[in-house]
Amino acid sequence: MRGVSDMTATSSEISQTESGPKANSIDRDDPATFPDWFRARKARSNLIVARWVPIVLVGLPVLVLFGIVVYPTIWMFYHSVHDTNMMRLFQGNWSYIGFENFATVLGSDRFWDSTVHLLQYLSFGACLQVVLGTVLALILFELVKNNALRTLILILLVLPMMMSPSIVGVLWKFLLTPSNGAVNQALLNLGLISKHIEWFNSGISLWSIIVADIWNWTALPLLIVYSGRVSLPPAVYEAAKVDGASGWQVMRRITLPMLKEVIAIAFILRFTDAFKFVDLVYIMTSGGPAQSSELPTYIAFQRGIREFAIGEAAAYAIIIFAISAVIITLFLKYLKRVLKAQGIA
Amino acid sequence: MSEKNYRLVRTLLLIFLGLWTVLTLFPIYFKAITAFKSPAETNSTIPSFWPKEWHPENFVSVFAESSNFQSLVDSFVIASGNTLLSLFLGTLAGYAFARFPKQAGGENLAFWILSNRMFPPVAVLIPMFFLFDATPWGTDSRISLIILYLVFNMPLATWLMMVFFRDAPRELEEAAYLDGWTPLQAFMRITLPLVLPGMISVSMLCWIFAWNEYLFANLFVGTDVKTYTIVIPTFTHGSQTLWNLQMAFSLMAMLPPVALFILLRRYMVRGLSLGVVKG
Repeated sequence: MRGVSDMTATSSEISQTESGPKANSIDRDDPATFPDWFRARKARSNLIVARWVPIVLVGLPVLVLFGIVVYPTIWMFYHSVHDTNMMRLFQGNWSYIGFENFATVLGSDRFWDSTVHLLQYLSFGACLQVVLGTVLALILFELVKNNALRTLILILLVLPMMMSPSIVGVLWKFLLTPSNGAVNQALLNLGLISKHIEWFNSGISLWSIIVADIWNWTALPLLIVYSGRVSLPPAVYEAAKVDGASGWQVMRRITLPMLKEVIAIAFILRFTDAFKFVDLVYIMTSGGPAQSSELPTYIAFQRGIREFAIGEAAAYAIIIFAISAVIITLFLKYLKRVLKAQGIA
Repeated sequence: MSEKNYRLVRTLLLIFLGLWTVLTLFPIYFKAITAFKSPAETNSTIPSFWPKEWHPENFVSVFAESSNFQSLVDSFVIASGNTLLSLFLGTLAGYAFARFPKQAGGENLAFWILSNRMFPPVAVLIPMFFLFDATPWGTDSRISLIILYLVFNMPLATWLMMVFFRDAPRELEEAAYLDGWTPLQAFMRITLPLVLPGMISVSMLCWIFAWNEYLFANLFVGTDVKTYTIVIPTFTHGSQTLWNLQMAFSLMAMLPPVALFILLRRYMVRGLSLGVVKG
């Protein structure tokens, strides 16, 4: 994969091979563990710089993250096993109730309904976006031969991604207005429907959100896969041409296998984003009607910040956190392997 | 596959691409023409796909409400402040990770920092809401959003700057040491200029993410400070939604990210794919 990275050896690789046998127990004060190139200058002050400056440089963001991510997460864990609400929080007299909050959450239909909604959204929102984006990117690259036209189409297709979720949500709410919305009118004009579709009725409203989200985010996999395809080496394709391979064979045997990692990264990005997704629910439906388009994250925010049932919201947050921790760990492992193979990390 | 079939498949695929392009552009087209319509026309029972009369003054009259312009200023200040902070912290840490991987805590720490971008913010936002409530500036302030947006922008900046520093050749820095330069001099005069394109693309990405952010702003601010993203859903006059002004305003608000994308799309792809794809 030349285009993806043509780096040869990175500093980490060099220093790893050097200190091979004792890689597991590193004495960070030992100048021998310093990167090769840095030892070029022997001054003692430089060694002190190499020892301490990196710690300070990395320490700043780590400290910030402890303040704005780790501390709040611990706070959430703590309150998920307490009966905290607004009043008790300000009086400071919440009490330990064990796993009652989790029992409330896991025993409620609201939670399971929203989990089903999330699964629907992940499969039709996130997965479909990656499939569509990949197909469109490859059609665009392989079949549109005019360079200017290709760039123009690419830019046009990526426009929705540059919009804020609030713009997208409001726009689609406007387009899907049942009585005089543009989508219903266009479908009527084209003769595809005979009466207005109630886009925000129970059972359909979640799909309206998914449609808006597909419109908004299909561009991300499209852009990533397209750029990945651009940077594949032309030499391989010339060889295939000489061998007389058909277009479909080239696609299946060369292009798709070589783009495997790129497509996987696009999928990982979309999937983790989809787990965070809640903006359009706020703008388009507020979870309604009758909680039929709620996602777990939405309920957590509603219970926590709007209704101040902090203990219960914390239980929601911890459940979401635990599931995403598993998924993200798996993804990061894969990402690490891909990046290692390409010499980036 | 025979030549005839191949042509047929090819045509069908191109039609699919064309259809998708039309479907992608239709909402934007409708948004653009709605921005020029009169309020009566936007609320008529049968929507028109071409304005009966043009009202370009919508783009001016939307600012009659002074808070609308103020919201763009707020968004700009918050996005820029957060970008500067993310870029500063991310550049320093990225340099440490790229050049002193062992001393800086190794790749696991780098991956942990990156993972903060992927986690759902739900476990962070609720506590931070009550935490900021107890500070003198409160939740409803620019500073609270500038700090909160670090949750997703700083990990991204750190990670991407690490990738860019690794791409910058080490040998030049090494030569500077041999010439007796201090590490700081070498960093400022040699390495930093080399990663400048990377820094620009990282800051543009961070800026766009902060500019477009809706969820955090919706939960945290709204009275003293309003970002444009939370103003857009509130364009109403009595019970009527002022769709034409709403669309005119959001058209203007989406111009900066669109312009940045068109100018810098090659660099942005690198950032959007976490450095995996070279645009």
